[in-house]
Amino acid sequence: MGKTKIKIDYKKCGPDGKMDPRECRKCLNVCDPAVFLMHPTLEEHPDPYNPEKWVVTPVWPDVCTSCGKCVSSCPVEAIKVSPGESLYKMRMHG
Amino acid sequence: MKHGAGGKWYMNARNYSYELADEYNMKEYLEEQWKNMETLFIRKIMGFSSIGLGYKMQMPLIGRFLRSNAEKMIHSEKPGRNPVRADGHFGQVIPLEDAQHILGNLAAEPIIKNYCVCRWMQRGVKDAVCINFGCLSQIIPKLTRYIPVDEKWQLDREEAIAALETQNKKGYVASVWFQPVPYINAICSCESPECGGLRLRNDFGLRTVLKGEYLMTVNRDNCQGCKACVRMCQFGALRYLPSINKVIINHDKCFGCGVCRHACKNDALQLVPRESVPGQARNF
Repeated sequence: MGKTKIKIDYKKCGPDGKMDPRECRKCLNVCDPAVFLMHPTLEEHPDPYNPEKWVVTPVWPDVCTSCGKCVSSCPVEAIKVSPGESLYKMRMHG
Repeated sequence: MKHGAGGKWYMNARNYSYELADEYNMKEYLEEQWKNMETLFIRKIMGFSSIGLGYKMQMPLIGRFLRSNAEKMIHSEKPGRNPVRADGHFGQVIPLEDAQHILGNLAAEPIIKNYCVCRWMQRGVKDAVCINFGCLSQIIPKLTRYIPVDEKWQLDREEAIAALETQNKKGYVASVWFQPVPYINAICSCESPECGGLRLRNDFGLRTVLKGEYLMTVNRDNCQGCKACVRMCQFGALRYLPSINKVIINHDKCFGCGVCRHACKNDALQLVPRESVPGQARNF
C-alpha cells in the first residue's frame, strides 16, 4: 500500500477559482486529524502584512485516515483523496 | 541545549525584557516571522518543504537528515537565524499557576489577545485565545486578520490572568513560547492536533513543544470513576477502566498541563514535580 495522496484542484478553489478558502473553510473544519492548511500563496503580496490570495494545501497527508469527509463537504468538488497507508499504520505494521 | 531542558527557564525575568529584545534585534525577526507565519510549512527549506513531513521522515537516510536538521532549526541559538523558517521557535507546556505568574509578573506590557494562527489556518476557526506581549504585541496588530472583532483585545495584567483561566478551564493547554529563544513573548492556549507545535511533537516526534515541569497523578482512593477528567485531556493520557471503576494515566503521554484537574470534583488529580517520578525526571 502506497502513501495517501490528496489533491486540490486550484482551478476550483483558490484565487483563480470560484471559491475563496477563507470564506468556505469546510475541509478544515470537518477533518478530524487536521490535514489541511490554509495559507497565503507564496507570491509577493501588495501588502505583505495582509495578503489577499489564499489557498488550501493538504500539508499532512501522512495523518489522513481516508474518511472522505473533505471530499463530500467541498462545495466545489475540488478535493480528491487516493487512500494509502497513514503514518500510524506504517509504524504499527512497518 | 542551553534553554528548554528543564529548570523552569520561563521564570527568568530577563527572557521577557525589552533590553534582551533590543540586544538580539528581536523586533526585526518577529516582523518577518509573523508576516510569513502561515507559509512556514509550505516553504522549501534546504530543498524540502514540510508537506508530508511524516512520510519524508520515514525514509531511511533522508528521514534522519531531515529530523536532525529540523531539531537544529527549532532549537537554534546561533546568530543569523532565519525568521521565515521560525528558527529558534519552540515552547513548553505550563500549568495555569505558572502561566498566571508570568502574566502577573514577568510579561512585558503591552499585553494583547488575538486569534490563534494555528486554529485559523488548520481548523478554519477564529478563536481569540493567544496572549502575546513584549514587542510581539506591537507587531501582531499590523496583521488585521488576527485582531478580535467585537471583543476587548488590549488587556491589562488582571484581564490577561482571567482570560487564561477561562481558556484553561475550557480545556485548552497553556504553553509558553520562545520566538526566538531566549526571548519569551507569548502564552498560547493550545488544542491538538491543529496546534502546529503539537502536530510536530505528537505526530512526528519533533521537540517543538516540551512537556511541562510537572506530571499529573491519580489518587486511586479519591477517584470515584466519574470519567469527567478523561474528556479534558488533549494528549490521550487518561483512560477509564470499568473493571476497577478508576481512571488511569499514561505518564509517557502526560504533558503536565493540569487541565484535567478542572473537571475533578473529588480531589483525585494532583500535579507533582516531574523529577519526583523517577522514570520521567528528564523526559521533556
